[in-house]
Amino acid sequence: MIELLATVFSAAFFLTVIRTSTPLLLATLGGLIADLSGALNVALEGIMLVSCLTAVVVSVYAPWYVAVIAALLAGAFLGSVMAFFHLRLKADIVLVGFAINIFASGATVFALTLATGGDKGSSTNLISKPVPALDLSFLGMVPGVGGLLVRTLSGHSVLSWLAGLLVFVLWYFLYRTSWGLQLRSVGEHPSALEAAGVSANALRGWSLVASGALAGLAGAQLSMFNYVGFTRDMTAGRGFIALGAVLLGARHPVGALLAALLFGMFDALSVVMPGLFNWIPAELIRMIPFVVTIVALILFSYRMKLTSTTFDH
Amino acid sequence: MTTENMAPLLQAIGISKTYPGGVVANDNVNIAVNAGEVHAVVGENGAGKSTLMKILFGVEQADSGELRLVGEQVRFGSPRAAINAGIGMVFQHFSLVPSFSAYENIVLGSEPRSGIRFDRRKAIEEVRALSARFRLHVDPLQPVRQLPVGQQQRVEILKALYRGGRILILDEPTAVLTPQEVTELFSAIRALVAQGRTVIFIAHKLPEVLEISSRITVMRGGKTIGEIETKDATEQKLANMMVGREVTLRVERKPYNGKVTLAVNRLSLMNELRATVCDDVSLTVRSGEIVGLAGVAGNGQAELIEAIAGLRSVAGGDIAIGGESILPLGVRARRGKGMASIPEDRISQGLALGASVAENLVATRLDDRLFARGGLLDLGEMRANAERLIERFSIRIDGPNALAATLSGGNMQKVVVARELSEQPRLLLVSQPTRGVDLGSTQFIWRILTETRNAGAAVLLSSADLSELLALSDRLMVFYRGRIVAAFRNSDELTTEMLGACMLGLSRQSPEEMRAALA
Repeated sequence: MIELLATVFSAAFFLTVIRTSTPLLLATLGGLIADLSGALNVALEGIMLVSCLTAVVVSVYAPWYVAVIAALLAGAFLGSVMAFFHLRLKADIVLVGFAINIFASGATVFALTLATGGDKGSSTNLISKPVPALDLSFLGMVPGVGGLLVRTLSGHSVLSWLAGLLVFVLWYFLYRTSWGLQLRSVGEHPSALEAAGVSANALRGWSLVASGALAGLAGAQLSMFNYVGFTRDMTAGRGFIALGAVLLGARHPVGALLAALLFGMFDALSVVMPGLFNWIPAELIRMIPFVVTIVALILFSYRMKLTSTTFDH
Repeated sequence: MTTENMAPLLQAIGISKTYPGGVVANDNVNIAVNAGEVHAVVGENGAGKSTLMKILFGVEQADSGELRLVGEQVRFGSPRAAINAGIGMVFQHFSLVPSFSAYENIVLGSEPRSGIRFDRRKAIEEVRALSARFRLHVDPLQPVRQLPVGQQQRVEILKALYRGGRILILDEPTAVLTPQEVTELFSAIRALVAQGRTVIFIAHKLPEVLEISSRITVMRGGKTIGEIETKDATEQKLANMMVGREVTLRVERKPYNGKVTLAVNRLSLMNELRATVCDDVSLTVRSGEIVGLAGVAGNGQAELIEAIAGLRSVAGGDIAIGGESILPLGVRARRGKGMASIPEDRISQGLALGASVAENLVATRLDDRLFARGGLLDLGEMRANAERLIERFSIRIDGPNALAATLSGGNMQKVVVARELSEQPRLLLVSQPTRGVDLGSTQFIWRILTETRNAGAAVLLSSADLSELLALSDRLMVFYRGRIVAAFRNSDELTTEMLGACMLGLSRQSPEEMRAALA
């Protein structure tokens, strides 16, 4: 137990939490923007997976930032595919989302085989590049807390910093700009905006594209920082955890950040615990993030039931 | 304002519109609205009023015909185009975002900006100025879901005015309001006209039309029947034009003197959140009488009917039919005791839309050996039953196998009524029997309800339409915050204003007055 506490309060554990939280946070923000526009994006998982592979393959031939942008564009493209099927062809959004998930699972393995020349499991024979970590060791010059600052702030992925910035950007967009107001109105009561003469579908379409782009960034972080390289189904349910995090975060960007950190922390625990408790099967420990998701969602819906008012007809 | 040689402000000439499926909604319709008038458009459900308004507001496009704005031909391809031309519309179902505040709803889609930022302070100021100017008072900062319906409607009107609306189309604005709120709406409409705005007012209720409008266009069966100055119009004359035949708005009924059939004793009900919605309610309904329940929606009358029907559990007190408690009984057992129920929402509770009319007509009688034996349906008997009821209740459809979803509102309601009254019930529960139903069907349903009463049924009727309650009920109970606050024996002296004041909690009866009408 002492070892566990010592591990949890170490700077290395903090770095791990940030690392595991970042793809979750990016995907959660993507889920949030789609959810607020009234289109539940269940395809986050599949979009992340496609972006993971896109990032790995592109980074073999191009600099890391080109690979990140390629992952983002792949995500945005899949978002626009969803928008096309859902908004233009009026297909059910959940079915479209699952179609993309199933497609992603199969297509990535197929594309991986082509890219590696026959390997169906991972991209170990491709020399892919990582996203660089931001080196802030100059903070060591700060008197007193310099060492602490370096240990906690230095060494995070560039995308982690970007994700943190995006929390603020998204908050400002949603609550301080008129487009944000319109986006939130579309999710809650689309006919209000239609009656005001603004197309609800166009807004929904763009938010699905943005949602896909954010999931694309999440994929890039996953395959270019958390692991360098692609393994089949490497997203391992993170897209679905992100959907839970949207709700747990009360459909607010800051809530999304806290929820992603919470899930990221349990994810990190499942990484460090097998070394400390070798008598607990590793499989059980790896279940922790999923069990936490289920428990959190049950508690969340219970709370919603208690706080919703009687007078909404 | 109006002179002979001035072109009307808004004019529709020879508008025709056929929906896919061949329904002719508008057939060579003409309407001319002059600046500064309140122009009422009246007609039964399905007369084509809504379609015409949707064309004027650019939601739908006409197949032929033209629109003219101050004499010049215009085309509205979308609501945006109509808004830009100065036309605003307040739909019957409000288009407001419940969690947004009043001012956010008003400026939505045309927000004031500074840079990319939504300028909230300016928005609030503009809304305050607008609401002061037109004397449409609302608190800009209140979330809309916390506002009463009358104020939500003001928000909708302000929304149209904020976009520079000179012509306001109000689609059945009084349908959801209490009499007091109607009075406030009418003074707001007068203030709008005084400030140079023009109002097009769609309505069902003729006394209101006569009170507020200056001219009236009557529609029937997709055509314009005529235009009439309000000063030349009477209720009877308008009703005749609307229906095309003589109609009587009164119902004949014989005096009652039956035994107590339904007794509700000190009943308490809670909602899903364990808040009390019905508190110590006692009432009786005798055989051969109609007891009306009045109250603003959400004051417990709907829950009371659900509890009697067996759809809601009871927290305290008792409900008895013929002196025998029915609390332990389920819905089917209660129906077995002679209860029938016409629910509030025919679409979600009254009918299976994807099933045929014949199937819907036997849905509550599947344990009757006439229609089902050994788990197998007797299709021939179902069809015969359907044909009998279609004939008796004059339901207008192609045949018993038509899907319920394809029927108009009035005919859907007739199917529900036909099923529930195919056998004479002992106790009949009725909620909003004529909501969204045209005048012809309304009359028919009123007559059927009265016949059922005269044949000895105890009828408990809940309705938001006070004139319906006054036309049908022998006694009336007013609900306010889960309690009965007033009880009346129906008479010619009883008015909607008296009921309305009790419904809003403005006036209360003494216990003696109430006891006299409760038993």
